[in-house]
Amino acid sequence: MVVRLTDYLCCLLSLLLLISVLAVANTSQASDSVEVIVHPSVLVRNLSRNSLRAIFGMRLRAWQDGSPIRVFVLPDDAPLHQFFAKEKLNIFPYQLRSAWDRLIFSGTGQAPFLVNSEEEMRARIANTSGAIGYLKRVDIDDSVQILHVK
Amino acid sequence: MLNRPGILKGYLIRAGMLLMVLHSSWINASDQKNLNGLQVHGFLSQGYIKTTDTKNNVFGNSSSDKGSFDFREIGVNASHRPLTNLQFSMQLLSRQTGQASKGGIRIDYGFLDYAVITSETKDLGVRLGRTKNPFGFYNDTRDVPFTRPSILLPQSIYFDRARNLALASDGVQLYGESRNDWGDITAQFGVVFPQVDDKSTEAAILMRNQPGKLTPKLSYIGRIIYERDGGRLRFGVSGAQVNVGYHPGVNDRLSAGSIEFLPLIFSAQYNAEHWSLTSEYALRHIELRNFHVLPNTNFTGESYYFQGIYRFNSAWEAVLRYDVYYADRKDRDGNDFHAETGRPARSRFAKDWTVGLRWSITPSIMLRAEYHRVNGTGWLSTLDNPNPAFTDQHWNLFAVQASYRF
Repeated sequence: MVVRLTDYLCCLLSLLLLISVLAVANTSQASDSVEVIVHPSVLVRNLSRNSLRAIFGMRLRAWQDGSPIRVFVLPDDAPLHQFFAKEKLNIFPYQLRSAWDRLIFSGTGQAPFLVNSEEEMRARIANTSGAIGYLKRVDIDDSVQILHVK
Repeated sequence: MLNRPGILKGYLIRAGMLLMVLHSSWINASDQKNLNGLQVHGFLSQGYIKTTDTKNNVFGNSSSDKGSFDFREIGVNASHRPLTNLQFSMQLLSRQTGQASKGGIRIDYGFLDYAVITSETKDLGVRLGRTKNPFGFYNDTRDVPFTRPSILLPQSIYFDRARNLALASDGVQLYGESRNDWGDITAQFGVVFPQVDDKSTEAAILMRNQPGKLTPKLSYIGRIIYERDGGRLRFGVSGAQVNVGYHPGVNDRLSAGSIEFLPLIFSAQYNAEHWSLTSEYALRHIELRNFHVLPNTNFTGESYYFQGIYRFNSAWEAVLRYDVYYADRKDRDGNDFHAETGRPARSRFAKDWTVGLRWSITPSIMLRAEYHRVNGTGWLSTLDNPNPAFTDQHWNLFAVQASYRF
């Protein structure tokens, strides 16, 4: 069997073309019941989706004033975590996990802080300077600040 | 003859590993929860491999009736970030895989990372020390079961035979990242010395263990990855020029020759909610020069695979892959090689169909099982299979693995 590089690339290209057609037909419904929250000392009120992805992907390490960003997340299998990843970051939770693992196990980054409940999430965000996380809108009170995603 | 500094180093590393584990439990128990920037993570796995209808061995005596449990991976890492743009990272790894890795503890990576420029959309920095080689999609974390698509990585590209050469190297790495609306670009470039201090690398390059020693020479390595829509679409190109010398032993029939590897890997991946498609294509140019009794040779190997993953839910996923390896793309069936050397033609290629299942019992405990139907012995370890005539062209491999992470 002789497979040339050009055959291989053609095959790959047509596959990707097919995928992009499928992907267009697969857009999700809008919902705003999950919100990004930060510690009240964080002065940022609006953030682009790209920057939010960079923060939760553990690539952006500091706020504009140079203070460290501290990312808090629920466990991978928590429904709110999965909903947040899809709604606010527009990526799938398994992608976040593999991005984190690539950083954690090659030494090129660090993992987010894990909280085990939504109650703990609110408490940690309210008490940790530079903290960012997420909660259901109904559970948000004055102890934390909502961050809007542009 | 006892190698005292070596033994001492072994004890020190063991003590360090124990301290790291103890420290991690202490951190987790405290209220402060390591906000000071210190993190400890690790993994542990035990595998079982049975090769059937064959004499071929993978990771130990897998063709015996009982199969082989000689497949374990243990790793612990720590990272400390005293400033937002400064990080120290180190990982210790112990790996048991048949004759090739005997379970000794080694420093997998250990480096200082300083980000010279950081902004909301750009990073530029430097890493000093031992860094993982940026090779394809999987090399950086190839020994961490949770980051692999299957128990055995596609062996055509991530072969375990000369693994230390591909694994990590010592030197300077520059990196840059740019995040834009049209996608993210991550680039790494290293000027490094490769790791050649193990017998499996020597056996893979020079066909068997020779009296002399391989010596590392200055090498270059780089990778660019483009990711669109937060990683929905990923493309990568990796390349390297790896230089290795040879220091002849006493009464060595080989002279002080040199080896040059020029691998080039193209990678592509598409990630949807329930499925992912991945493919990588690699060319490996190899040149052996001035080995006296061996003629100067150069040839180009070729590898590629297509891989599909389907996620039934967050706990279960299945993988299907076709993986092809040619040692020499001008002699894909190995017939020329057989005519010249008398060694079997089947040792110059391998075509591997793989099906596998992954069950994530919790986010930190995973069970896996997979089956391989292989045509060819191209990536079989010569240490586990010392006599190439005593191998089979068509063979089956069944593997299960349990893994834990923290």
